[in-house]
Amino acid sequence: MKDYILLLPVLLPMLGAFAAYLVGRVSKTAKDYMADAAGLAEFILCATLLAYAASGRELSLAVPGICGRGIFFRLDGFRAIYAGIAALMWMCTTVFSREYLGHYRNRNRYYLFTLLTCGATVGVFLSNDFFTAFIFFEIMSFTSYVMVVQDEKPGAMRAGETYIAVAVIGGMVMLMGLFLLENRLGTLNFDELHAAVESMADLSPLYLPGALILFGFGAKAGMFPLHIWLPKAHPVAPAPASALLSGILTKAGIFGVLALSARVFLHDSVWGNAILALGTVTMVLGAVLAVFSVDLKRTLACSSMSQIGFILVGVGMQGLLGPHNSLAVWGTGLHMINHSMLKLVLFLCAGVVYMNLHKLDLNGIRGWGRNKPFLSACFLMGVLGITGVPLWNGYVSKTLLHESIVEYIELVAESGAPTGIYHVVEWLFLISGGLTAAYMTKLYVAVFVEKPDKSFEDHKPYMNRQSALVIGIPALLLPMMGLLPSGIMARAARLMESFMDPSLPWRDAGEQPIRWFSLTNLRGAAISLAIGAAVYLLFVRQVLMRRDGNGRKVYVNLWPKWLDLETLLYRPILQNALPFCGALMCRVLDNLTDWLVSLLNHTLLRRKPIPPRRDEDYAPGDYVPHVHRSYTLQRISGSVSFSLLLFGLGFCAAMGYLIVILLTK
Amino acid sequence: MENNTLLLPILLPFAGALTLRAKRLKNDGSRGFFVTAILACELILASVCAVCVKDSLHIVTLAPDLELMLDPDGLGKLFSLLVAFMWLMSGLFSREYMAHEENRVRYDAFLLMSEGVLTLLCFAGNYLTMYLGFELMTLLSTPLALHTQTDAARRGGLKYLFYSVFGACLGLLGFFTVYTFGSSTVFTPGGVLDGAKCAGHETFLLMAALLTVLGFGAKAGMFPLHAWLPAAHPEAPAGASALLSGVITKAGVLSVIRVVYYQFGPELIRGTWAQYVLLTLTLITVFLGSMLAYKEKIFKKRLAYSTVSQVSYILYGLALLEPTAFTGAVLHVVVHSAIKNALFFTAGAVILKTGKHDVRELRGIGKEIPVTMWCFTLCALGLVGIPPLGGFVSKWYLAQGSLASGIPVFSWLGPAVLLVSALLTAGYLFPITVSAFLPGADFDYGSVEKREPTPWITAPLILLTALTFAAGLFPGLVTSLASAIAGKLV
Repeated sequence: MKDYILLLPVLLPMLGAFAAYLVGRVSKTAKDYMADAAGLAEFILCATLLAYAASGRELSLAVPGICGRGIFFRLDGFRAIYAGIAALMWMCTTVFSREYLGHYRNRNRYYLFTLLTCGATVGVFLSNDFFTAFIFFEIMSFTSYVMVVQDEKPGAMRAGETYIAVAVIGGMVMLMGLFLLENRLGTLNFDELHAAVESMADLSPLYLPGALILFGFGAKAGMFPLHIWLPKAHPVAPAPASALLSGILTKAGIFGVLALSARVFLHDSVWGNAILALGTVTMVLGAVLAVFSVDLKRTLACSSMSQIGFILVGVGMQGLLGPHNSLAVWGTGLHMINHSMLKLVLFLCAGVVYMNLHKLDLNGIRGWGRNKPFLSACFLMGVLGITGVPLWNGYVSKTLLHESIVEYIELVAESGAPTGIYHVVEWLFLISGGLTAAYMTKLYVAVFVEKPDKSFEDHKPYMNRQSALVIGIPALLLPMMGLLPSGIMARAARLMESFMDPSLPWRDAGEQPIRWFSLTNLRGAAISLAIGAAVYLLFVRQVLMRRDGNGRKVYVNLWPKWLDLETLLYRPILQNALPFCGALMCRVLDNLTDWLVSLLNHTLLRRKPIPPRRDEDYAPGDYVPHVHRSYTLQRISGSVSFSLLLFGLGFCAAMGYLIVILLTK
Repeated sequence: MENNTLLLPILLPFAGALTLRAKRLKNDGSRGFFVTAILACELILASVCAVCVKDSLHIVTLAPDLELMLDPDGLGKLFSLLVAFMWLMSGLFSREYMAHEENRVRYDAFLLMSEGVLTLLCFAGNYLTMYLGFELMTLLSTPLALHTQTDAARRGGLKYLFYSVFGACLGLLGFFTVYTFGSSTVFTPGGVLDGAKCAGHETFLLMAALLTVLGFGAKAGMFPLHAWLPAAHPEAPAGASALLSGVITKAGVLSVIRVVYYQFGPELIRGTWAQYVLLTLTLITVFLGSMLAYKEKIFKKRLAYSTVSQVSYILYGLALLEPTAFTGAVLHVVVHSAIKNALFFTAGAVILKTGKHDVRELRGIGKEIPVTMWCFTLCALGLVGIPPLGGFVSKWYLAQGSLASGIPVFSWLGPAVLLVSALLTAGYLFPITVSAFLPGADFDYGSVEKREPTPWITAPLILLTALTFAAGLFPGLVTSLASAIAGKLV
């Protein structure tokens, strides 16, 4: 019975959503409190579950019959942590939304959908089979769409279109993958998948379903080449929604990728290489896009893409390293947590900027953050964290990921195979780290250091206490996590590893404690930061800034406008080329029968013109003008029903004739 | 004696239709009440028949093996319940929708009578009875399509009549074939063909079976006899288009099930060219319907094309001759009925309240009729197959059945086409919702006036939406019945 508590974190926010919506129709203030209460209750619930799971216990729940196959939930360390992070993020963003959305229209709708998304997202993280995950994943995709288009401006609508198109296409492709996977393995349950896979001699029939499922989850995670929605949707969505999209919804995609990697393709090098390749491209491309961007939230969005690439590199290394993958597993898990927390802080800070200035481009907001030490400090925590500076949280996970690549290169070298390509990956990893440093410095310097062009008219205070609280506390957590890697991070990683590699917990029981701040580990961070400094000083300051008419240096966007997969490729194909061909073909087929009929009408069955009706045509015998017929009779004989009646009589006669024929057979 | 009850739901609507001219029913209010009462009685009677009646009923014997006979099995009962429920919904909807239309007595009379014959078709125990029901249904539902008497309606109605009668002629061919080569024409799970008589005539039998399916498939909007659907459905009053699209197409489906699984038998068709032809035709229809709906701009016509596509999901599932796919097909019958009724009701409500027919004019309409558009949105999600709504589960079963059937190429092509079609479905339904609820920041909220229809329209909509949810969350009731039937058939 106690397992049924697993339904609560899913249903609570959903019920809270409807409650808040109904309350909101009466009183707006009451709705705000209602939504906050739902967020808080969800957080307390998930924190309790996390405490429960942290003591090494698990819960699992099967509700048969729902949606035909039944839904399966399970609570283990990984899921408890992610449910907890989701709840924390929703609580913070819900509280922040009150001030941020203060002057927006349709706020009631926003709260309804954000809380529904919360329930669905937690549902994804708790699910224990692909079917359940898919159900909640789809709900999440659709409800989050409304968050993206909240302000209904043309840009938002277009970005929303991209978002929903990617979500729907991703969902359908994933569904095809699930059909195939179930057909080939007979199960979709995470607990049974691995056994089913092991009974197969050859993994090759699984690569197609795997790729299709990866398409769906990868699209949500922002994996190349399906990342297109990310840089579009984040800048236009309200900041609290961007924080959620970037911090947690992308992780729901990663959750699926992890489930696939750990349950179906555990320790499979082909799969590992594929994910590594996609991850590397995502990581580099995201970072490059972020360096070029001159929009605060767009930079953060591209940064999200890049960080997802880091995580995918970790997932790829898990597959490649096989039984030696504990570093990669820890790095992946911790980088997920770090990225969620970092993006919460960073997007909410960006939200504060937008809330006050209603602008996001760096030239417009330049210098606004001077003399705002609190906001500046919070943002700085995020910058230092995501850049991977030692003593902040990002350093821990990035180091682990880097070490896992180094470890794999050594393994490959031992076996005598060429290591060149993995050296390239390692360098791309370090360079991406450097680019991270460059674009974050660009943001920080632009907003908080440089002098403004003209003084801003500030209304004080620039944010209220609740907002400060929900930004400040997560920001404070970032260095804490970095300062106590063994205390917080290693513990979290221990909890997560059984999900990410089921063979791990009992494999590495007696391993050496990791020396977080050893010289070799610090060296990677130092190289990245050096690259970052060089890129910032030589490229960002020199190339990406031009003097404008007044002789002042401004940020310019040098990324060629046409170079955009969406406008260059996806939209023309999906919106024009394919529908045109399809419709052309279908129109021909559609009219085929009618054409045939009309051909017959004009050839074999040529119709003679019917002479106009005259009274004498109907009069029997001598023509009697103006035969008086009752009005009713006229109406009857002229009606459709009468014609049908005659038709029916004829039909009965024909049937009768046929029966007689059959009887005398 | 108790099986005489079977006649009641068939005859009651006729009795009702005949009394509509009575003096007391002259005024619209009391007649509306009377019609609603009859429709409600029908639902009760259908439920009673579904629960209580176990035996067959021989109405009249024309010749030793030629008789009219009712023998509702699980499938027939399910369909008759569906018919009665949807007719009640449409009856409620029509009370407000038809309030300003002319010739309401005629509309009500044919509405009632077509329910009677449709119940006859559902309860039919042999081919002849079903054929009778099928023909009568065509004749009695044509006036519904013709109702508005505009030129377009007349063209559409006549097209409907011709296509259906042509289809029924092909059905008659099937009847003679089964009569000649089978041991009887009573519906028997697994078919009635007599091996001794059939020997040497396999090609002819396959040809006959294929043509019969094409003929009855005309009613279900299967390519190449689908063209009447987008012509006739949009022209009828919304309540009638909902029934034509949502329920009467399913009569075609039921006839196809009866012919394929109970007369010719799945074993005859399995693995032959006839099956491949059927699979090809249904998949073409699935894609064609969705594609043209995507391109269509008239709301009701778009929905009609959507029906073409969706009913062929069902026919595809049936043509696979596989138990899981059969289950999915039966579930999709229920789901699609509920959803398509609701969608047509929405289109009707929009026309009634705003007079707009074009989907491009619907900007901001969600602010004016929110309850209606919410129901539309949820049903649209269901039709696309977004969990946890109805269409998702049926699609899952269909795809699993397809893959399990192991038919070369089609086993994976089928699910792929279904998903492409689902994508197009999303493409033609979501933009309506989006422009209805998200009119854009520059939208003039001042011009919005609340014009939500009365509960006569919203209540059926909400009920149907609830049914869509229920069919998605708890499909067990239908699927267990369907898989039990499928077990006997395949």
